[in-house]
Formats: sequence, C-alpha cells, structure tokens
Amino acid sequence: MPEKYDAIVIGSGIAGGWAAKELSERGLKTLMLERGKNIEHVKGYVNANKEKWEFQHRDERTQQMISDHNVLKRDYPLNEQTYGMWENDKQNPYTETKRFDWYRGYHVGGRSLMWGRQSYRWNKWDFEANAKEGIAVDWPIRYDEMAPWYSYVEKFAGIQGSKEGLEVLPDSEFLPAMELNCAEKDVKQKLESHYKNNRKMIIGRSANITEPKPEQNRTNCQYRDRCWRGCSYGAYFSTQSATLPAAMKTGNLTLETNKIVLRVLYDKNTKKATGVEVLDAITKKTIEYKSKIVFVCASALNSTWVLMNSATDVWEGGLGSSSGELGHNVMDHHFRLGAGGTVTGFSDKYEYGRRPTGIYIPRYRNVYDDKRDYLRGFGYQGGAGRGTGQEVAEFTIGEDLKKALSSPSNDWYINMSAFGEMLPYHENKIKLDKTVKDKWGLPVLDFDVEIKENEKRMRKDMMNDAAEMLTVAGVRDVKMYDAGYAPGMGIHEMGTARMGRDPKTSVLNGNNQVWDALNVFVTDGACMTSASCVNPSLTYMALTARAAAFAVEELKKGNI
Amino acid sequence: MDRRELLKTIAVLTGSVVIGGELFLSGCKAKEPFVDTNPIITDTSTGLPKILTAAQVALLNEMADTIIPTTADSPGAKAAKVGEFMNVMVTDCYLPANQKIFTDGLASFETKCMAKYKKNFESLSSAERHDFIISLEKEAKPFDKKIAEDDKIRESSINKENDIATWAQRKEFVPTGRHPYTMVKQLTLLGYFTSEIGMTKARRHVSVPGKYDGALAYNDGDKAWSE
Repeated sequence: MPEKYDAIVIGSGIAGGWAAKELSERGLKTLMLERGKNIEHVKGYVNANKEKWEFQHRDERTQQMISDHNVLKRDYPLNEQTYGMWENDKQNPYTETKRFDWYRGYHVGGRSLMWGRQSYRWNKWDFEANAKEGIAVDWPIRYDEMAPWYSYVEKFAGIQGSKEGLEVLPDSEFLPAMELNCAEKDVKQKLESHYKNNRKMIIGRSANITEPKPEQNRTNCQYRDRCWRGCSYGAYFSTQSATLPAAMKTGNLTLETNKIVLRVLYDKNTKKATGVEVLDAITKKTIEYKSKIVFVCASALNSTWVLMNSATDVWEGGLGSSSGELGHNVMDHHFRLGAGGTVTGFSDKYEYGRRPTGIYIPRYRNVYDDKRDYLRGFGYQGGAGRGTGQEVAEFTIGEDLKKALSSPSNDWYINMSAFGEMLPYHENKIKLDKTVKDKWGLPVLDFDVEIKENEKRMRKDMMNDAAEMLTVAGVRDVKMYDAGYAPGMGIHEMGTARMGRDPKTSVLNGNNQVWDALNVFVTDGACMTSASCVNPSLTYMALTARAAAFAVEELKKGNI
Repeated sequence: MDRRELLKTIAVLTGSVVIGGELFLSGCKAKEPFVDTNPIITDTSTGLPKILTAAQVALLNEMADTIIPTTADSPGAKAAKVGEFMNVMVTDCYLPANQKIFTDGLASFETKCMAKYKKNFESLSSAERHDFIISLEKEAKPFDKKIAEDDKIRESSINKENDIATWAQRKEFVPTGRHPYTMVKQLTLLGYFTSEIGMTKARRHVSVPGKYDGALAYNDGDKAWSE
C-alpha cells in the first residue's frame, strides 16, 4: 500500500516551504518532496564561514566548472563560494529554440538559499493592469484580497524596510530599516527634491532580519553580505531558516529528499488527483504517494513540467492543458542596464560592515499622469560605495602600487540598474522536448521566449532615466550601460500555468486550483498572470499561504 | 570591496580583462586542461599535476614580490604565496591557449633577463629587478593595445553575424590572450589582495562586522576594506 498523506507538497523552495508550513500547522499530515539532496540548516552551509583566501581559486571559475555548467556560466551564479548549490547543467539539460538562461537550485530550500532577498509588495495597479489594458487575461484577485496575506507572511519572514506610504509600492510589515550610506542619502535628497517627491530613493526592502527572532531561533543580520552561501545566523529568510523548522515543529511534516516527481496521479472518474508518482534519484525506483491534495511548488517551469507529464491519458498536453495556456506566457524581469557615476564630497567618510541590500527607486513610469510609448514600468536597484584603489601613474610598481591599492578611492561610486516588467505573451512558451533526455531519462523542456517591442521601448527609458536622475542629483562622470539581457537571467521565471477567471483561458482559478483538478494547487511563479516590475518572491509567499488556508477549509467542508 | 570590483580595478590597471574573470570570459568553451609533460608540482587536494614547475613558481614569486613588495606594514606577494596561487589558477582556470602563452612567456622572460643582465631574475639586485619589470610593463602595453583593437574588430564582426543567426548558430567570442607579463601582473594583484596577508595586513578585514555604519569617519591613511 502506498503511504497516505493529507497533503503532498512538490518542492521545498520559497513556495514549497510556505505550503508545508501552512498545511502542517493547520493540522494536515503533509509530505514535502524534494528532488535533490538535503542541505541542513547551518551544518550544510559548508562555505558560510570561509574567508576568501580559503577558496582555492579565490572564488573564480575553473574550466571544469565552466564545462559542467554550460548555462550557469552565462552569468554570476557560477562561482566558487556557492558551488554545488546550483544544479549541474550536464545532468539537467534543456533545449533552447531561443536562448533562455535557466538557473536552478535542486536541493532542500531550492533557491530560497541563494535568492536576492529583495521583497516588495505588488501595488493595486499591478493586479488591474491586464484587464485595463486588454493584455492577456485579468487576474482573478485584487490587492485588497492580498494585503492581509502579505502582512501575514511578512510578519513571519521578517522584512526590513522603511515606511514610505507610497501607492506605487505599498509598505510591508517592516522590521527596522537598514541604513542608507552618506553618498546614497546625498543622492536621495537631491533626486527627490528635483522631482518634487514624484521619484523616491529608498532602502532596498529585503528579507534580512534587523531584530532577532528568538521564537524562530534566528539572529539578526551581522552585515557579512555572504547570504548566498547560507547564513549560520538564520538572518535571512529561507526554507531552512524559517518555514521548514516551523513545519517540523508541528510533527505533521515528513520531508523526503532525492525524490523526483514524475507526475501527479489523476483519477478521471472523480476528476481529482490521488497523489504523485516519483522517481527515487538514488535507487532509480518509482514510488507512489497518495494524498487528498497536492501543492505543486517545484519552481515555475518545473511545476509546469510536472503538469505536462500528468493525466496525459485524458489531455495529451497534460493536466491543465485544456485551456491551451499550459506552458505559455513565460515571463521574467528584464534588466542589466542603467547608469553609474561618481559621488564627490565624502572623502572623509567610509562604510563599516557589508550591508546585504542596496537602494531602491520605485516605479514612476505610466503611473498617475505619466504616459509613455510602452505599457507598465520598471524600478531601480543599486547602491553607492567607496571604491578601492588610488590612481597611479603609468608603469608604477612596488611600494607605490601596493599603497595605492591598499587605500580607498577618493570618491564614492553609485550604480543603479533597472528591473522592468515583461508582458505575458502567449507565444513565449515552454514545451516538452522528448528527443532529449536528462540523466534520469526524463524528457526535457524546450524554451521559446523573447522580449518584444514593449520591453525594448521600455529599455530605452530604463537606461536614459538612470543617467538623467544621477545627473540631476549631482553625480559626476555618469555613464550609461546596457550589458544585454536574455530571458531567464532575472531568475524570476513566471507564468506557464496562469491564474484567471475562465477555465478556457487560464490553468488555475483565483485560489490557485487547477481548473481541471480542484485538489491540485500551483502557487509558485507558474501561477503568475502578469509580472509587475518588483521582485516576485514575497508575492509567492502570500499566494501560497492564502491558497493553503483555502485548501484546508475546502478539505474540511468536503469540497475537494 | 566585492570581487567584481577587484577584477575591475585590476582590469583598469592592466588595461586588460582578467583572464578567468567571470562575465569576461563567460562564453569560453572548456577543453581538456593542458598538462606539462614534465610536471613537478602536484596539487595536494586532487593529486593531479599542476602546470608550472617549482622553479617557475619560485620565479613568479620573485617577480610578484617586485610588483607587490614587503613594506613596513605588511609582507609582500612572495610571503602571500602568489606564485603557488598562479600555478593553481593557470592550471585550473586558464584555457589551453592562455596556458601556453603563460608558460612560453616565462621562458621568454628568462631569455630577456639573461640577454640584458647576463644573470637570471633571481640573481638581480632589487633595482635591476624593478627596471626589468618596468621594461616588461613597457613591452606589454602596446602589445595588449594592439590585441584589444584587433579583438574589438573581431568581436563586432562576430556580433554582426550573431545578430542574424539563430541562437544555436551563434558563435562565441573568446578574447585573445594578452601579453604574458599582463597575466603575471593580473594574477599577482588578484592573488595578493585575496590572500590572508593581502586582506588582513595590506588592507583591513572584519569577518563578522555585526553592524552597519554608512558614514564612518575616515582619516587620511586609513586602509581600504578588503571586501
């Protein structure tokens, strides 16, 4: 007899961790399945306390690393300090009709261990924009329904930030804000005064705690800025530091690692899922687990992969494909452009500590009276710091060179980099490529995603506005840059199983239930109907907690 | 200072992107590492041979110590074992073509040194060492400038082809290896300022700051933070 649970959660990242916590705290016997290995909190963070000189290659890449990671090598995630925390591209290939950078974390905690921790609420317009502009389909929910769930997850996760009272970027339940440095304060003051407070520069809101959370056994941030190696203090939100221990405390959670979910088991008579089938990555055996409900939180594109492989005897394209939208509307945030320059006048000041967040400039385009030749908008992330190294004359070596490089530069440098909203396009899609198999013989995903005219037009503003704002704020030697963007690089994959109001045009309903199997919930990035321009993880947390509470109620009522 | 900034500083100083530096060579195709037929040094962690000989590592330590010497406040590059670091980096992180430039370059340094001083580098006085390194600096600069110009033309032509190619047909631009002295200098600076000596003695390092101050008083002569 297969083991029977009340709930199965596929995936252990930000969404999976929240689902496991909420379902087990609400009394459900819950099984969380993780396809990769375990990384134990603190103990598993092998590089957390290493100094740079303890890394053999001082955090640079070896040719072996590059060869094993033909995708990861395309951007910053491939480095020595987080090595082993991103999956191996050779074992987990995929195909690219168009370039797509897919950076995955296959282990307990998923990318909650390596995330950027930037945490922002969506605003009311984000949920309304599709309907107002006739883009894709309408979100089945509105900000007012989300607000209490944002509050709920923020209080638990711990988000530091400053209260600003902005409609465009609603305040969270904040822990005390981290401090802007002297150069950032200077630029902020000049910028806000020039734009008469229509543009703001604030501290980047992040899931780093600035006060201890003893009830969660978490210490406040120590300003080491080594978050992505795993934090021994539990100072940033991750599955390991926060949701997993809470779920474990209930006694209701079972965590199984090295279990690759092959499909959701579907009963066409009851039109419900009955559990999941998994492949044990170690024994190579398949196992069935039974449950009353299933939460699919395998990360956006892998959640859709699971659906595409489920109930194929009923729907050729898999569970949720009856709408014709499964696998479609892939989104990310487009970025890697902006401007930087020199801030003078602070050569008598320096920083102490390494702050794990920067500045944020909330969206101001296409809000209120502003109207551009594209839809939606963008925000900026960045920060100022005093550089290292004094200028030296040509052909200087020896003591003079050493001294110059051991001193801070005279001036501070500020950089701001824009993150833009990408519209959901039906033709931006993933599909199964059965001609290519991964290490376990499973079909892989093929990517066909690109940015289009709207994003390209927006990118002009994203770069030019940065230079303009820095210039009016008195920053010198302002230089614009566009380092180029390929979809996926934002590591904010969204869409492919969107929420909506109509089963004919959406995969999920307003409670994240698959229309075609109401006891299956998808609450990670896959469910997103549009992308906003703010970092998405906080919204996944709120959506997951909301859906879990709903699922438990429905289960009690006997509706699912 | 994060490592990206260190790489940038070194790139600006040497006029060349740092070999192996992320984002700069991110498109390289990996090949089997070149292994010297007569290796002497073995990597203790893997047991695999490293490219450079003990004599070459010793030479690199001396050259590096001329670039970053011991001063009143901190030991120099040799004490920080920058030569050993270069052996690891050239073996593990360099593409075969660059490994060859590096090892051929070491031989050429010795030939040049003998021709000029009738002595090997290790036997030179410190003034001679300084002059010899400066002569390499002067040789490397126009050499690298020419490569940079040629690379720019090559890269833009590859980019043009890529603009009309499908993703699968796109070619990767791999920068041409620079002058071997430039490689030595880059690895010296990278190795030194990421070493324990460089990070804690030449610069300042606090592993666990515990707090943040965005307007710390700075007095002339205060050292830079190492990260």
